[in-house]
Order: sequence, then structure tokens, then C-alpha cells
Amino acid sequence: MAYTASRAGSVNSTVKRVRTWYALLLLVIGIFGVRLFYLQVIRYDHYKTAALHDQLHQKVIPATRGTIEAHDGEKTIPIVLNQKLYTVFADPVDIKTYKTDVDKAAVRLASTLGGEVDGYAKKLQAKDTRYVILAKKVTPEQRTKLLSYKLAGLYSEERDYRTYPQGSMAAQVLGFVSDEGQGDYGLEQALNKQLAGTPGELKAITDQSGVPLAASRGNVQTAPKNGDDLVLTVNMGMQAQLERILADQYKKTKSKGLSAVIMDPATGKIKAMANYPSYDPAKYSEVNDPKIFENASVSEAIEPGSTMKLLTAAAALDQGVIKPDTTYFDPSKFVIDDFTVKNIEEDGGARQQSIASVLNLSLNTGATWMLMQMGGGSINTKARTAWYDYLTSHFQFGNDSNIEQGYETAGLVTKPANNGAGINLTYANMSFGQGILVTPLQMTAAVSSIINGGTYYQPYLVDSTTDSNGKTTTTKPKVVKQNVVSPEVSRAMIPLMEYIVDEHYKEGFSYLNFSDSYAVGGKTGTAQIANPSGGYYADKYNGTYTGFVGGNDAQYVITVFNTQPSVNGYAGSYGGQPIFGDIAHMLIDNGYVTPKTR
Amino acid sequence: MNIQGSPRRRSTFQSRGNTGENKVDSGDLGRKHKPDYWLVALCVLLLAIGMMVVYAISPALGASTGVSGSHYVFKQLLAVGLSLVAFMITAQVPVRYWRHAYKPLLIGAGLMTLVAIAMPVNPSYPAHRWVRLGGFSFQSVELLKFALLIWLAGFLAERVSRQEIATTDKTLKPLLIAMGAIGLVIAGIQSDLGSTGVIVLMLGTLAFIAGLPFKRLLLIGGIVAVGLFIAISATPYRRDRLSTYLHPEANCQSTGYQACQALIAVGSGGMVGLGLGKSVQANGYLPEAANDSIFAIYAEVFGFIGVVVLLGVYVALFSRLKGIAERAPDDFSRFIVLGVLTWLSTQALINIGAMIGLLPLKGITLPFISYGGTSVVFVAAAVGLVFQISRYTSYIAPINDERSMHDDSRDRRRIRGAYHPNPSSSS
Repeated sequence: MAYTASRAGSVNSTVKRVRTWYALLLLVIGIFGVRLFYLQVIRYDHYKTAALHDQLHQKVIPATRGTIEAHDGEKTIPIVLNQKLYTVFADPVDIKTYKTDVDKAAVRLASTLGGEVDGYAKKLQAKDTRYVILAKKVTPEQRTKLLSYKLAGLYSEERDYRTYPQGSMAAQVLGFVSDEGQGDYGLEQALNKQLAGTPGELKAITDQSGVPLAASRGNVQTAPKNGDDLVLTVNMGMQAQLERILADQYKKTKSKGLSAVIMDPATGKIKAMANYPSYDPAKYSEVNDPKIFENASVSEAIEPGSTMKLLTAAAALDQGVIKPDTTYFDPSKFVIDDFTVKNIEEDGGARQQSIASVLNLSLNTGATWMLMQMGGGSINTKARTAWYDYLTSHFQFGNDSNIEQGYETAGLVTKPANNGAGINLTYANMSFGQGILVTPLQMTAAVSSIINGGTYYQPYLVDSTTDSNGKTTTTKPKVVKQNVVSPEVSRAMIPLMEYIVDEHYKEGFSYLNFSDSYAVGGKTGTAQIANPSGGYYADKYNGTYTGFVGGNDAQYVITVFNTQPSVNGYAGSYGGQPIFGDIAHMLIDNGYVTPKTR
Repeated sequence: MNIQGSPRRRSTFQSRGNTGENKVDSGDLGRKHKPDYWLVALCVLLLAIGMMVVYAISPALGASTGVSGSHYVFKQLLAVGLSLVAFMITAQVPVRYWRHAYKPLLIGAGLMTLVAIAMPVNPSYPAHRWVRLGGFSFQSVELLKFALLIWLAGFLAERVSRQEIATTDKTLKPLLIAMGAIGLVIAGIQSDLGSTGVIVLMLGTLAFIAGLPFKRLLLIGGIVAVGLFIAISATPYRRDRLSTYLHPEANCQSTGYQACQALIAVGSGGMVGLGLGKSVQANGYLPEAANDSIFAIYAEVFGFIGVVVLLGVYVALFSRLKGIAERAPDDFSRFIVLGVLTWLSTQALINIGAMIGLLPLKGITLPFISYGGTSVVFVAAAVGLVFQISRYTSYIAPINDERSMHDDSRDRRRIRGAYHPNPSSSS
């Protein structure tokens, strides 16, 4: 009995200890319950915020950049398209846990994308970053292959890249798109916003790699608005041939750079615009000198030289201070502000001259005389103010043309107020195109306005835009200035310009042999080049030419700027005029010009 | 007082036809009666909860690990099937056989541990914990827990019966040697501080309940503390984990990532949770979402209410185990049941404690809930033993206080009768 009692007592004390221990267990579970209440109920907001901070990802849905097409006869053809390529990147934190994974991934990357295994291995183990770009412009095929390896920590990002089905054509007009998706130079820069569109946005709870969870609540999505597709005013055939002509003449004239613009004077449409040398926009990153990205036709203003005399004559005629048939005695030199203005081309000395012969012989004294007529016989405040008014508010020099191009320059026109530094001489120079900076495009648009009846049209490149909803808007020509000159003056300017071409043909420039079915007129310019240390270079000239080609009306206005050609003879006649001749023939030979019907 | 009370209970036993003795060594547990089906029901409920969570997050797990969405569910179903087999075996094979089989079991567990240590490591789980045979793999430490449970119960029961529980040579020494070996191999080589913790707590608890003097328990506690200190200071990653544990939010992007994500999962569950199938943290944010971290996912999905329910189910299970232990037919059975109770409860609490930022991360499973075959199979085997023992329990607790002495035992039986059916209705 004693044994039984002691056994029972032992069991009882055992059970007592069990209950003590069990009470302790319940106490701990109770503490856990309190802790859980604290975490889940009291601190709920804190952890909800922390959870969303990790889980809610804002994802940009990229908009597709607009494409660019241009006219080619009746149809339009693409010149800038998009190609979907991938940027492959790694999150080293996800990948570097095990050395074997890094090596395996590096080998796979090198075999799929090319490049050094070691280089990839190094990138995959980068420290202090969670985003290392491994390769750009990876094709969809390469990406699919990489995905099939199921490598941890590797990700890809789709990105649109520009492709150029027409190669380097119109490169400087187009500009390019940087790897960051930013339009740079040309149209891509000027219309970046319109082309880029508006990216969409997806706010979603995602898995850890950023893939939105289908079941998650509160996903917010805004659809991207794709960029507008553009059709340019440019005629691809004309553009291609213009570029070929410039490339030829660049060699022939031993030029340092050529720019040319072909514009429709009745609308302001740019039909072709090119510079030489140029570049391939698909390989823009290989270009060393960023200057070559610029479209010099709008970004480079120079002293145009004698082509300006067309505008001096038009301004004088419009003011009524001369008539188309006016003649005067030309003294062959004027002394202005103690400086002698004389003619640089052989003009036969002091004698009676007509407006036509002033333009044909390109008499600096003639241009100066016309400016004097604006002031009632001498260069004075009235003459300067009138000339300045015509230059800036009629012909729009010194103003941006607002063409859809990046890096446009406004040029420079000196104000007429007496600045005590030979302002009259400056203005005399300006009457024959020195001491004033203009771009080829400005000269084209200004000459267009004096032969199209007197309307200055805004030059433009975008003929129509199609937005993301498929709505097409055709650009209407925009009038910048009415009555630049009167219709009568405009009508008088055309025969004056035709006369110059005829006379030059007769003098022996045989390539100016145009059929009577076509109207061709123009003016050379041999422009002195300012020496940065004062005065002008004695042996360096720019050759310029501005002219038109047409039938009943002028249909194309053409400007050529040739930088420092090495030619025997005047730069304008031998460096500018032959290029104009080539372009005029090209337009006529290809049927771009409607012949005269009367 | 207890001695006064005991003859009354004794007579009760006798009147019910019991042998009247606690057959410590005979292995004869007395008459069989209806087992405790509630025990099984609660375990099945926990398994079902675990299966439900694994099922709900398996597409997310599949997506982040590159396997099919049903992979995890299929493997878990297989584990549950194996568990059923293990349960049937341990529930049927008489407890006394198990008691005598402690040596081969320990040797088997030791061999498996050696194999696990010798196996080339899987780079994803750099500890030497896994035995892999073909496509099948299991953690040797789970078998070790099971084997130790049986050895410990047998060892302590024998010491108690011989009244040697307070001796140094016969009791304290073997316990310390066992602890030392386990500490060296499991904590030292396998780096499994979590399982070591479970085993040491199991050992300590059973020793305490067996009546090991308090001073000896303090000594064991002191040795454990020193061992822990050495284990932590000797390995940098444990130091990291400790510092992470002390300052979890400061280490969210590095060592504390899992701890932080677990807290975020738990906290963002709120009162009612995100709903089944709506877990976000399982999508690659929370490491080991189906295994060690499943409690955090459960808390995220079912919220505080769900957590209270889960803890309630656990407490109900623990209380069944405690009830069976109190009425166990002999000391060996009692220690088995208590060992299982300690095993399940400490493992659950170590796991949950880490998820709610009260304990450092340990890398052990949540019993019945976590995905992972080994754990569930051996836990089921252990529960099978308890199930078998529940057939031999006496009808009332052999104890204990003033009130119970004067109670009419029949009334107590009636109250308890809910889960201790009248023997006349049992087989």
C-alpha cells in the first residue's frame, strides 16, 4: 500500500508539473496572441503602407513613336519606322548568390549576344546596384533564346528603335532619337513631343519581379497615347537627286560644305532640303563631330552676297522709288563713311545702267544706289529704316522661320539706329548682301515671297499628321506676311531674274540652256567672308545662288550655299550657279515642272 | 493530501476493471478502449488548413520557381499520403515494441545524419541537412527527433521507476551527453539551431516533468546558454541573424529581408486578411512562403481572426495531448505523449515567434501546416503513437487538488466523458 501511495504520489506530482509547464505554454501562446493583435490590428496601417511600398509598382507603358513618311509621286513611302528591340539587364542582387549561377549565365549571355564571358560575369557581380545593362538592341529572337535558359536575375525591357528604310536620306532634316528616347536635331527634336506621344501608366500590385498580379486590387491603368505619324512635304525623288547633285558638286567645286533648299513658293512646302556632308542616322553614335548632325540649311547663317540684290531691287520697286525700266548714271563707286563702295565684277566703269543690268552685272554700286533712292538720294535714317523694315518685317530676316527643325538660327540684321560705327556703310553693304546673316531657308522663303505675288509663306516640312485615333490633319499653308511686295512688283521680278539667266547663258554658261517652255531665273552671289579678327578675307568666298524654275508661274524656288569652293572665277558664278543649273535641269528632266501653256 | 486522495481513485480504477497498477515496465497497458478521435480530427484540420494555404499559393510559387502550379499541391498530397501510412504503423505497432526499438531507431537516425552530412550540398540550402535518394529527399533531423522522443521517454521512465531521476551518474550524465552530441552535430555541423532548440526544449521539459531536481535543470539551462553563446559568436551568419532579430527594420534590404517581409505579410493581413488566393507576399517577396514562412502567409490571408482560430486549433490539440498525458497508463506512455506535445508546441512557437518578430529566424517548419514531407511524416508518426496510447488512458486524471479529492469522481467522469467514452461502449 505504501508503494502504491508513493507511486500515485509520484504520478500526481508529475501531472502537477505537466500542468505547470502547460500553463507556461498557454502563457507564451497568449503573448503571441497579444503580439499578433499588435501587429495586425494596431500596427495594420504601418504594415499596409510598408507592403504597398514594396508591392505596388508604377510601370510606364511606353507610347509608340510616330513614323515619318514622305511623298514619292502619288504615294507616300516610309523613311523612319520603329523596330522593337530589347535592353537586357540584370539585378546582381538576384543573381550573385552563387558563383556557379554567375558563370553559367555569363556563358549563356556570351553565346547568345556575343561579347566576352568575363565581361558579363563582371557585370553580373556588380556591387551596390540592382540594375546593370548587359546589352542593348537585342533582337526578339535573341531575347527568346535567353528566356529559354531561365536564368535568375536577368530581365529585359522592350524599347522602340528607329530604323531608316531609305538609309541616310534626309538625315539632317530628320534628326535621330537617342537611346533614351529623346529626339535630337531636325524633325525628331522639333516635334519630339508630337512624335513621342504620351506614355501610359500602370499602377499595380506586382510579384517581386514586377509582373502585375491578376487578382490584385486597385490596379490603375492609363493607356498610352501613341505619337503622331507624319507625312512630309518632301518629295523623295527630288530629295534623292538633290543629295546626289550636292555630293557631285562637293567634289567638283572642292567645297567645304553645301546646303540647298527647294521650296514651293505658292505654299511654303519644302520639297527637298539637303546638306553635304551628311551622316547615317542609324549610326549616329559613330559620328565624331556633332556639327554634322545640324541641318545647315536652317542652322547656319552666312553673309549671302549678291543674291540679296534681288530683294534690294524688290524693296525699292515696292516703295516706288525706282521703276523696273528706270535707268541712272552709275559712278562705279560711292564713298560712304570714308569707305569706297565699288563693284567687284567687271562692269565697264561709270556709265548709264538699268535695273536689269544692275542685277545682271551684280553692281554693288547699283544696289547702293537703290538703297539711296529709299532715302531720297542718300543713305540716311529714312533709307536705313525703310530697308530694315523690308528686311525684317517683309522678308523675315532676323526671325526664326519656325520650320519644324531643331537648332534653327534667326540670322542677324543690324538695327538702323546710328551706332556711331559706320552704320551707313553697314547698310550699303547690306544692300548687296554683306554684313547681314541669313540662312539658305530664309533666303528661299524671302525670294519666294517676291515672285509669288507678294505673300510670305511659313516654310514647312510636315504635310499631314495622323494621330493615334487615326485622324489625319493636313497642314494648311500659313501666311506670315501679306503684301511683302505688290503684285506688280512681283510680276516685274520674274522677267528680271529670267533676264539674268539668259544673259549668263549668252555669256557662255552653256549649262543654263533651258527650253522656252520653262521659266528659269536666278541670281548669283559671291560673298566675302568676315575675318573674325576684322575686315574680310582677301581670298575666301562663299558661292551662293537663289533662283526659280517654273512654267506660267514660278514652281520651285531654289537656294544654294556653297562654303568656300575652290573654283577658277567668282564663287557665285562657278560655285553656286552650276549647282542651281543642275537642280533646275533635274526638276525639268524628271517632269517635276509643269511647262508653260501660254 | 494526494496520498489521502489516491486510494479513492485507486478504488475507482479497480471498480472499472483496471489492473490497479501503473505497469511501468511490463508494457501491458491494460484494457483497450475507444481511442481519442478528436486528436486525429484536430490534426486533420491542421493538415487541411496547411493544404488549403499551399494550394492557394502554389501558382505563385510555381511562377517564381519555374515549376507547374500543381507541383507543390501534388507533392504535399504525396506527403500527406505517406503521413497516413506512418500514422497507421505507429498507431498499430504496440508502444512497447517502440520502446524496445529505441536503439535501432537511434542508430538509424545517426546513420541518416551521417549520410546527410556526407551528401554533397544543394547550393540553395547550403546546410548538410538533407538525405537525397533519387527524386526523394528528407531531413534526417526529423527522424532524429522521433528516435530521441522514444529513447528519452524510455530512459526517463526507467529512471523514474528506479527512483534514480535525481542521480548524476544515471540521469544527468546521459542527458548531458545526449545534449552535447546533438548540439555538436545538429547545431554545429548541420547549422540547424531551430531543431536543436526543439530537441533541447523537449529534453528539458521531459526532464523537468520526470522530476529532475530544479538545480540540475538550472545546470542544463546554463550549459545550453553557454552553448548558444558559442554557437552564435562562432558563426557570422548567426551573428547577422541575431542583429537582424534585434533590429529587423534596419536590415530589411540585407540580412533582415525575410524577417521584414514576414512582418509585412503578418501586419498587412489586418483584422480579416486579404482572402484566400489573394496573398501578395507569396509572389516572390517572402522567402520560403510555403515552408518556414507559411504562418506569415496564413496571417496575411486570414488576418487576426484567422490567426486566433489557428492558435485555437493548436491549443485544442495541445489540450488533447495534455489530457492524454495526464491519463496515460504508464510513465513511458506519458513521456511519449508529453514529448510529442513539447515537440509540436515548441516547434510551432519557434516558427511563429520568428514570423512575428519575437524570435530570430530559425528555419523550421510549422507542424502540419508547412509544406515539406519529412516534417509532416514524422509528426504524423509521433501522433500515431499518441493515438495508440489514447486507447489505454484511464478515465479521470490521477490527481490532484483539494477540490478533486472531494469531488464525486463520477461527476468528473461525466464532464470528461465527452472524450473519454464509457468502456462498455468500447471494444
